Amino acid sequence: MMLRFLLVVVVLISCTDIYKTVKGDEYTLESVRASLVRQEDTIVFNVIERARFPLNSPTYDPHYASIPNFSGSLFDFILNQTEDIQAKMGRYINPEENSYEENLPASLVPHYNFSQFLHPTAASVNINKSIRKIYFNEMLPLFVTSGDDGNYAQTAASDLSLLQAISRRIHYGKFVAEAKFKENPRDYEPLIRAKDKKSLMKLLTVKSVEDIVVKRVEKKAMVFGQEVSLDHDVNGKYKVDPAIVSRLYLDSIIPLTKDVEVEYLLRRLD
Amino acid sequence: MMMRIGFQFLILVLIISTTVRDRMATADNAYTLDTVREALVRQEDTIVFGLIERAKFPFNSQTYDQKYLEIPGFCGSLIEFVVKDTEIVQAKAGRYENPEENAFFPENLLSSLVPSYPFTKILHPGAASININKSIWKIYFQDLLPLFVSSGDDGNYAQTAASDLSLLQAISKRVHYGKFVAEVKFRESPQDYEPLIHAKDKEGLMKLLTFKSVEEMVKKRVEKKATLFGQGISLNSSDDNNGKQKFDPSVASKLYEKWVIPLTKEVQVEYLLQRLD
Repeated sequence: MMLRFLLVVVVLISCTDIYKTVKGDEYTLESVRASLVRQEDTIVFNVIERARFPLNSPTYDPHYASIPNFSGSLFDFILNQTEDIQAKMGRYINPEENSYEENLPASLVPHYNFSQFLHPTAASVNINKSIRKIYFNEMLPLFVTSGDDGNYAQTAASDLSLLQAISRRIHYGKFVAEAKFKENPRDYEPLIRAKDKKSLMKLLTVKSVEDIVVKRVEKKAMVFGQEVSLDHDVNGKYKVDPAIVSRLYLDSIIPLTKDVEVEYLLRRLD
Repeated sequence: MMMRIGFQFLILVLIISTTVRDRMATADNAYTLDTVREALVRQEDTIVFGLIERAKFPFNSQTYDQKYLEIPGFCGSLIEFVVKDTEIVQAKAGRYENPEENAFFPENLLSSLVPSYPFTKILHPGAASININKSIWKIYFQDLLPLFVSSGDDGNYAQTAASDLSLLQAISKRVHYGKFVAEVKFRESPQDYEPLIHAKDKEGLMKLLTFKSVEEMVKKRVEKKATLFGQGISLNSSDDNNGKQKFDPSVASKLYEKWVIPLTKEVQVEYLLQRLD
């Protein structure tokens, strides 16, 4: 009798242990959505802050800055060196963070136990090369004025901050995909096995939700980018055109996030 | 013959000197009382955004603990490592050539590796290098941070440090803008300032620089910005005002009232005391 009782107790205790080792229960469809909403604010703030500076093209001209032992533009230099520092301080140990540079130094700080929610073989999806190209070729020209004020270092730092925010949002697609997969694996498995990108994309796309996101981003750009005065309402004056900010989401951020989701899912059963 | 050449030479010299003076005058006009005030107003948004973004992370005390980081050859906390090294990178890229920028670890910096840019130089040379960032640093970590970040730890120390640096830079820029405020005010009415400067009358200068009504407006506007930018925004407009605030707006006005405004005035007084050197 006593033995059976002890056996039940042991089994119960071992079950709770198993429950504890199932990490990543901090990520649910709801928490992932809440995070994406909060990230909109970060992206809008960073767009507004980048718009303080004109284009400042020497920042991106590899011939402008001749930095010894470094080949590239001033922006490349700042990106490379700043990610180097961040990597040493453990930033990229967090699965939510993805670097633009490759071959960064290892973390020098004690290991932190971040939730391991993502499927190991799919967790390393990184489309930052595309994001960077699209940022400079398509996004930036939309919301900065032409001109030059000499503040190239601050401009590059501002670009980096915005690029990091955009990258984090887009790569959050991995967490979105994992949460969706966990909810309905039977819907995804056949498409993944068939490597059916088109159907996966269709399954992941909910137009009504995307419309809400785009509208909400536009509203945030209006509220955060407004001229605030105490005595009168300065209507219609915004630091960045809110329609342009919402276009960044419509044309680039949402599609790229879905690309990440598809890429992730294609590796999910490996 | 010699007289004619001499005369032509004199005309040439006069023409050159007036154009040079004109160019200098236009450069100086980049800073006026109006443009300086506009810059200060715009900087409020940057500071409020910075506060809201830092509030995303809990306190993350390991970031500030000297014992947490064990890097051979480096003695200090994670935040010190990030700020020192990032400032070196920024310095090489020419950030601190702009008189509006002031480093937290200026003793550490390396010279700019990029071509020199002709930033407008209106500050009096002796007073331009005033740097009270060591005070700002202390106040930021001891007094300001505990006011608005939640206790806790999420492991994101590198991002926390980057967020701190961004906010520190914004606060520092605003406070040190006092040098430009002081220069512009001095140029407008030097007669008012000169006797006080000669007498080294700090109190008199402080009184002359203080406009309580303007300060009240600044505090109110900053609080309004923090309320607007810190609200949770949804498409259902009735949710907005009772929406979850990401950030307590009174912290922003307190930051300005207790530290930003007083420190800016301190910088102004320090600058003026050196203005006639």
